[in-house]
Amino acid sequence: MSILARSVGNAFRNKVRSGAVVIILAVAIGLALSMLVANQAVADKITSLKASVGNNLTVNPAGSRGGQGGGEPLTTADLSTASSVAHVSSVNGTLSLRLSNASTTAPAPAAPEGQGGSRTGRALSGTTSLVSAVDPGTLGNRENGRTSTSAATASSGATASSGATASSGAAVAGSTAVRPAFSIPIEATGVSGSVNAAAEPINITNGTALNDFAATSAQALVGSTLAAKNSLTVGSAFTINDRTMTVSGIFDAGTAFDNNAIYLPLTAAQTLANQPSEISTMTVLVDSIDNVNATKSALASALGSTRVDVTAGPGRVESTIGSLGSVQSISLIGFIAAVGTAGLIVLLIMIMVVRERRREIGVLKAIGASNRSIGVQFVFEALVLVVMGSVVGAVLASVSSNSIVGALVSTNMGTTAAVAGSGRQGLLAARQAAGGFGGSAAPGGGRGAFAGASQLIGTISTSLGWQTLVLGVLGILLIAALGALIPALLTAKVRPIEVLRGE
Amino acid sequence: MLEVKDVVKSFKTDDHTIKPVNGVSFSLEQGTFAAILGKSGSGKSTLLSLLGALDKATSGDVLVDGVNISALPDSKLTAYRRDDIGFVFQQYNLIPNLSAKENVMLPMEFAGLPRAKRSVRAAQLLNQVELTEDMHNRKANKLSGGQQQRVSIARALANNPKLILADEPTGNLDDETGELIIELLRSLCHEKNTTILVVTHDQALARKTDRRFRLARGKISEITHH
Ligand SMILES: Nc1ncnc2c1ncn2[C@@H]1O[C@H](COP(=O)(O)OP(=O)(O)O)[C@@H](O)[C@H]1O
Ligand SMILES: [Mg+2]
Repeated sequence: MSILARSVGNAFRNKVRSGAVVIILAVAIGLALSMLVANQAVADKITSLKASVGNNLTVNPAGSRGGQGGGEPLTTADLSTASSVAHVSSVNGTLSLRLSNASTTAPAPAAPEGQGGSRTGRALSGTTSLVSAVDPGTLGNRENGRTSTSAATASSGATASSGATASSGAAVAGSTAVRPAFSIPIEATGVSGSVNAAAEPINITNGTALNDFAATSAQALVGSTLAAKNSLTVGSAFTINDRTMTVSGIFDAGTAFDNNAIYLPLTAAQTLANQPSEISTMTVLVDSIDNVNATKSALASALGSTRVDVTAGPGRVESTIGSLGSVQSISLIGFIAAVGTAGLIVLLIMIMVVRERRREIGVLKAIGASNRSIGVQFVFEALVLVVMGSVVGAVLASVSSNSIVGALVSTNMGTTAAVAGSGRQGLLAARQAAGGFGGSAAPGGGRGAFAGASQLIGTISTSLGWQTLVLGVLGILLIAALGALIPALLTAKVRPIEVLRGE
Repeated sequence: MLEVKDVVKSFKTDDHTIKPVNGVSFSLEQGTFAAILGKSGSGKSTLLSLLGALDKATSGDVLVDGVNISALPDSKLTAYRRDDIGFVFQQYNLIPNLSAKENVMLPMEFAGLPRAKRSVRAAQLLNQVELTEDMHNRKANKLSGGQQQRVSIARALANNPKLILADEPTGNLDDETGELIIELLRSLCHEKNTTILVVTHDQALARKTDRRFRLARGKISEITHH
């Protein structure tokens, strides 16, 4: 009979009490493990957020923002300069072109002033056989009327035929029938991979991604609304300047505006626009959000701060991370509290057991047991309870941790949602303003942000990782050992004479 | 050889000090079967606890084979209790959830004897105290009083002690069983040359011992007449 076997036996001397203790311990330990899982899940999420969201910088030629239209264009040589800057994980250069419909023979307007200011030189860079799927609407026509120098051909007013904005467009256009024909130019972006200018993947719904990036490539991706408007399917042909392009895929960028666009291989776009090795925007991905500011200034000095403007994305992610950080600390406190509770339960029950067995401890000492072997026996006995509580607790945790994480994150995302929402809404507004199409952001931003927040929760994986489990059990065993050590030390204080008490 | 020299034990209670053992001296040759008689509360258990190093004397010396245990540090006292002393209690004091054999194996475990040897020796000892084989693996709390006392004597013998201290070993047993237990102790004493000191207030049982002492008012005196 070894000390361990004796301890296991002693742990079950009072089966009802031991069972109750194991259940209480299991609840405390299960809670502790859930908190640990939540803590790690949130920590992982923060790390991945820092490395995936809000960590991109946009590089534009100096002066191009705000509609000044000045500066020297960026070149492909700048791409390699940027990619050698520290903390830069990838660089993506794109070239934006505006293509007008060849048949409307719209004049090339000067870059619009004021709030319609565009990011790059917005002069039309060519013509296409495609017809824009977006109706100019009131604002588009007004902008065009203000800035256009020519006022020749009569507008067919409600050209806009169909479309959601037709009513207002038709009404206003009708009253300004003398306005010149204006069709919204089609945005063409030269890309060198499968991501767009904002370094987000292009969502192809039909066909295949671009794979021929040669200057002579005839491949193009067409936005879904533009494709519908022009009855294009995968394999259809259209022209840009004099080159016949083939639709290799249809993409969906989410909004009607963004789907009124095409993507071309970068070098083909440069050739078509006669702007060799020129790029209009460079998106730089930084390895972590923590390094964004340092990299921003490093990039500016590497590329020449008078030549380029380096801008960071909106700071909405920081607030999300901040609130996730509070979830992380809450769950850490919860873990510590639950582990402390488990330790306290072990401590109290073992103190009770020691008091109950004073006389037996006296017997053991009277027949020659050392303080150490008695102490070890009681530590083992406590560990038996803790191990059983941990096993049951781990099962409880694996069942409950998903909902605990969900509850923790969703209650805490309430405030975040609003912040993230305003950020998102701002971004949307900024993009629309930059496009020169005017129009205020829809007041549906709150709902969109809520969807974003719940998506965030969805991506927090809460399966019990073995590392988490081992870490949790080790932490609890440590506390249990401490909780058992104090009673074990109490056994050392029991004098052998106790054996004669009550005789 | 057990020598007790002017041993005093005093307890401080709320307002006064009592001395149940107040200047006790005697000595016993190795292999003596001796009895201490005395009224309840006369200090018999207290004296036994001092001899067995369960408690420390206020003053005086206890020498076992010339070694003064009153001067030993705690760690040596543990070894003394384990190797040199065997205790037999009125309440048997077995570990209730262990079997008879496991109880006998315990002191050998503390002495570091390998498990296989412990098992063999425990079985031998249980046979020696005449506990039948079918009882060896029975839980201690499922044995009768007499059987438990036999197990407790086997446990006391486990590490071949020089001295066995028995505090009213027959106190909870009927006369017949008590007589058997005393017989057993007596035969062990002579077979193994172990010194056995039995505390009892049963005159009839005390008559079977080699020497008898009376403890009264803190002093000990040998009973010479029969
Ligand atoms: N720890 C103690 N504290 C105070 N008084 C004690 C203590 N142990 C024993 N006594 C007292 O010492 C006296 C002798 O007790 P004990 O040795 O148990 O007597 P016996 O075994 O002869 O019946 C009793 O009066 C008892 O109350
Ligand atoms: Mg007594």
